[in-house]
Amino acid sequence: MSQGFRVQERSVLHFNVADFAVSVERVVDSGLRGKALIIAPQTTSRAIVYDMSEEAYGEGVRKGMWLKQAMRICSGAEVLAPRIDLYQKAMKAFVKTLQTYSPRIECGQADGHFFVDVTGTHRLNGLAPDVGWRVRRHVHRGLGINPIWTLGTSKLVAKVASRLVKPVGEYIVTPGEEADFLAPLSIMLLPGLSRKELERLLEFRLDTIGALAGLTRRQLMVPFGKRCEYLHNASRGIDESVVSVPAESEQSFGYEHFFAEDTNDRRELEGVLAGLVSRAGNQLRVRRQVTRRLGVWLHYSDGCHVVRQASCRAGTAGDFLLRKLAVTALNRAWMRRIRIRSCRLVCDRLQRQSPQLSLFPEPSADRCRETKVLAALDLIHKRFGHGVVEIGHHKLAGTT
Amino acid sequence: MVDRDRSNCPGRVDLVFDPVSAGTASVCPVYIGTCGYSYTEWVDSGFYPEGTRTTGMLGLYGRCFSVVELNYTWYQMARAELLSRMVEKAPPHMLFAAKLTRTMTHERADNWREQLQLYRQGIAPLGDRLVAVQIQLPPGFERSIANRNYLAALLDGLEGLPVAVEFRHVSWAIDSVFAELARRKVTLVAVDEPSLPGLFPALDVVTNPALFYVRFHGRNTNGWRSGNMQKKFNYDYSDEELQLWREKYILPMAARAGRGFVFFNNHVGAQAPRNGARLAAILAQQSKRAGK
Repeated sequence: MSQGFRVQERSVLHFNVADFAVSVERVVDSGLRGKALIIAPQTTSRAIVYDMSEEAYGEGVRKGMWLKQAMRICSGAEVLAPRIDLYQKAMKAFVKTLQTYSPRIECGQADGHFFVDVTGTHRLNGLAPDVGWRVRRHVHRGLGINPIWTLGTSKLVAKVASRLVKPVGEYIVTPGEEADFLAPLSIMLLPGLSRKELERLLEFRLDTIGALAGLTRRQLMVPFGKRCEYLHNASRGIDESVVSVPAESEQSFGYEHFFAEDTNDRRELEGVLAGLVSRAGNQLRVRRQVTRRLGVWLHYSDGCHVVRQASCRAGTAGDFLLRKLAVTALNRAWMRRIRIRSCRLVCDRLQRQSPQLSLFPEPSADRCRETKVLAALDLIHKRFGHGVVEIGHHKLAGTT
Repeated sequence: MVDRDRSNCPGRVDLVFDPVSAGTASVCPVYIGTCGYSYTEWVDSGFYPEGTRTTGMLGLYGRCFSVVELNYTWYQMARAELLSRMVEKAPPHMLFAAKLTRTMTHERADNWREQLQLYRQGIAPLGDRLVAVQIQLPPGFERSIANRNYLAALLDGLEGLPVAVEFRHVSWAIDSVFAELARRKVTLVAVDEPSLPGLFPALDVVTNPALFYVRFHGRNTNGWRSGNMQKKFNYDYSDEELQLWREKYILPMAARAGRGFVFFNNHVGAQAPRNGARLAAILAQQSKRAGK
């Protein structure tokens, strides 16, 4: 090992905005404060709850619950349609604040969860607890949202700490204190456990993290097989996973449509998919990116969902190829006879559009026409919004 | 309150004062320490040996000092189980001052009375090692009727605990405030900070004969309002400045108090422990001269 190299104790800050969508809606409309609020698409009575306020949670409303059921439980709640773009905007503003303290930021998709690795930034920004406090103050003043902040030597420890102080507060777990901190806590607070594993642990009366930490790897191997390593380390607060800054290729974005009535009408589904493709294509061209994989998520009436993808090695941002890929992915995903509640289109494996023109082949006349049509459509969408003008789909559907 | 044996108390200097009339000389033990001890930067700066981890820092700190001001209790509510483990692992001579949580000073919560009770429970494991609860009030906390009432209620809530109050706003530097603190036997914190308009001045007022309390924040005028603690507390005191403080403030206060605690907050680049050790040496020289 080279001289001068040493491993530092890590300082991982976790910020967690409880009920993120509700918090953002309340910033936009302060009249919603203190009221029971449910965020769910209102286009259909069989929509599911996207988020809810603490008041609605107290009444028994949960994420993923049917809106009808939620309204029966909490009849006085106000219902708002989710505004994903708005939540993503708030996420970006939050990240901008965090970027002044560290480049290593990991965040979820419009869910108000952030991990920031501030290891080694002490000479520049001071103590990690001070950074946590300053970020919270800055975000509270600037965005009007009040995140929980916790500090630990790993993502796992910081995550568990955040579960102790919901909906507001802070928790600092001092380095070296991880095992003592975790020991008395309920096993339910340990992240990364499947429902089956949890049931198994409770079967063995391992109801605290400390009880789990009391077992050796070998003892855990018998009931949990390969997972013994994770369980052994997690129960002691050992988590070496890095705060991963997603590379451009790992980023993704998507659009979702909830049907007014659950459906298994192919034409309706393809029509909706074409609309999602149009929005995705537009977004790719605005970002000057291409996608090399398109995923279609189908959520069925019975709560199950199926995800399938279709890839294109060269990548594309054009609606025509995107639509072919989307239909391929749809055909792969549509395997059940159950009706479909919602359909989501996700673009990932993103990369920048190459500015370099191809050396030999001249683009065909068709290709030129397509490019012109898309450019015109982008202009119209920019000015009048999506859904005003779309490319005809039925002919396209026939060709695939 | 325990008074540790001097030989086992690094960073402690006993200041001896001649009796005013015939009688025995009075002694004021002065403990020097720093605001916080857990700084990775102090490993980089050489105060802690290479490779020191957080768990080993308090033990090493205890080789140089016998008191520390806990600043983590400002960021989050004091937690009994954590402090209990810390006291268990701390060197036996180590004393602690604990900052009051920000939800009762800088970001006053609506339920601050409940917070106060939680705080009292949280610091309970410090027991007789607690030298003072330090209430640091924000620069915007002016001497208004509402703030006076709040402070009075806060001090009532801390009844029975040794308390030291640090004002940052100049409006509190008046005799009636000192008289009320003296009536309550609450220590007024003497501060050294940049001479900027509106800041509380350095004073040698002793409001509690049992203890005096000094905080050296550094005199970084440019960094003070930067919002970055690495700039704010980046200052290296010269021997002359420390010497002057000894003459002008520490000795007069020590002559009127049972014991004293001096903390350095200029933690950047481990200047705080360096300056603390230097002040201890300066005071020790003075003490020797007084003893001769």
